[in-house]
Amino acid sequence: MELNGITIDDSFAEAFPMKGTRLIVTAHDMTWARHAAVATTGFATSVIACGCEAGIERELSPDETPDGRPGISILIFSMSGKELAKQVEKRVGQCVLTCPTTAVYAGLFDGDPIALGKNLRFFGDGWQASKMIGGQRYWRVPVMDGEFVAQETTWVTTKAVGGGNLLLLATDTAAALHAAEVAVAAMKALPNVIMPFPGGVVRSGSKVGSRYPTLGASTNDAYCPNLREIAKQSELGPDIGSVMEIVIDGLTDADVAAAMRAGLKAAIALGAGSGLKRIGAGNYGGKLGPFLYHLHKLVPGAAA
Amino acid sequence: MSGWKLTLKQAPALRVDLRSVSVAAFADLDAAAVGRHVVHHGNEAVALGDLFTVAPQADGELRLEGDLSKFDRIGWQLAGGTIRIDGDAGDYLGAGMSSGEIVASGSAGLLAACEMSGGRLEIGGDAGDFAASALPGSMDGMRGGTLLVRGNAGQRFGDRMRRGTALVFGDAGNFIASRMVAGTIAVAGRLGAHPAYGMRRGTLLALGPAPALPPTFVGNNVDIGVFWQLLARDLARHGGAFDALPKRKPQRFLGDLAAGGKGELLTLSL
Repeated sequence: MELNGITIDDSFAEAFPMKGTRLIVTAHDMTWARHAAVATTGFATSVIACGCEAGIERELSPDETPDGRPGISILIFSMSGKELAKQVEKRVGQCVLTCPTTAVYAGLFDGDPIALGKNLRFFGDGWQASKMIGGQRYWRVPVMDGEFVAQETTWVTTKAVGGGNLLLLATDTAAALHAAEVAVAAMKALPNVIMPFPGGVVRSGSKVGSRYPTLGASTNDAYCPNLREIAKQSELGPDIGSVMEIVIDGLTDADVAAAMRAGLKAAIALGAGSGLKRIGAGNYGGKLGPFLYHLHKLVPGAAA
Repeated sequence: MSGWKLTLKQAPALRVDLRSVSVAAFADLDAAAVGRHVVHHGNEAVALGDLFTVAPQADGELRLEGDLSKFDRIGWQLAGGTIRIDGDAGDYLGAGMSSGEIVASGSAGLLAACEMSGGRLEIGGDAGDFAASALPGSMDGMRGGTLLVRGNAGQRFGDRMRRGTALVFGDAGNFIASRMVAGTIAVAGRLGAHPAYGMRRGTLLALGPAPALPPTFVGNNVDIGVFWQLLARDLARHGGAFDALPKRKPQRFLGDLAAGGKGELLTLSL
């Protein structure tokens, strides 16, 4: 299939079920809410080594937050509910509790409950106070700038999906990067999804397995332009000089599909003249992940 | 489950204990059988039908009509459903209730909502002494749910209260929040003498004229804006004087220092 001069591979992204939650972080102003949110979602690009995948969903105006201050909603995903609970506690404890003026609240209210402020309260060394407000328990922990307020619990959805993706194949790095930036911007406008890699873009796409037995994943040689002529099997034609990948995690299957649809639309609109030549997607043959996103079904004009 | 409407025929001479009267208890009965249900009038057993006209109600609620100020323990340990009282209620209204709703248009006697642990109790008039407090000999008072008193509250309101929210739209008597363990009490009007005597934790919020602060309370004028917005926005939904709370800023006093000082008295009078 070719749209606007760009070849759309007859391929699909293969994604996996994850556990996810949303947290609302508020602060005195957006600057400090952002500091907390950026720190909390740092080092959270891939579950392979980070324990979770996390990112900023969007900024919230004062009238959208529980305490009437500016805030940021963040999404955190893990492979298991237990690991997610561990990651939430560590990250909120080190990056939100510590950040001046912040407070933290649950952003999801159904699913399985996990601790949010429930254990962090012990930082209060006996001075912490609990408060039931509107059926929810909050903890007030005295800290040096006043008090840290944290909702006791957040809730985890088991319907989350991780690993939706797009591969953007272009003539050179500048063109590939530009296409990726445009696609990420379009996806960021949507709710319930994050793109966990730096700037939403990953250049080190991986394949399963390695020649070194200790490594479970290694560079995706079929998409490395440096190996175009020498790899056993290269996916790249002579016109492709650089490839970027966008990975998407969402709270539901439909959210990931919507983000891929938005990204495809924005990238295709650039046209082949921008240097973007092809759009593909990463998969493992379709046998590993239960969620398959066929590009031809998601491009503009495709029957939903 | 059918509801019931009980209309008082005439006020009894002695006090009547209505703890056994509930929609759940009458689930399998017809009107005649409900009329034969025995309650105690002083130490004498009388049939409900001798005191009330009994009629079924389609909405599943229990409705009581008349001056029930001599009828005690209405909604005793209520675990669900709705009770509406058109008139005054006696002592122990909603005592020990864990769920459901009680709405009384008139006033309530002593110990309303004592040891209430959930649900919603609304008193249209005044509440007598010891509302939201503990039964005699018990360690904990009200421990959950929401109590609204549209009129004034008597003395010792919220004695030993542990959890939940209790709002008084009028004035409160002496020793409000005495020995309070935790929870939230908010009073739109005036506080009586010795507020929060022996308070251990929890929040007493006074919207009205500045109360005479006990000497065992100490000013703590720091920013609690985040907590205040959470609390004020929740209380604001009850309307009346509480409506504008989120726009106001409280002054904070900590105490009772004789009992650890982890409680807070918030005033809005300035």
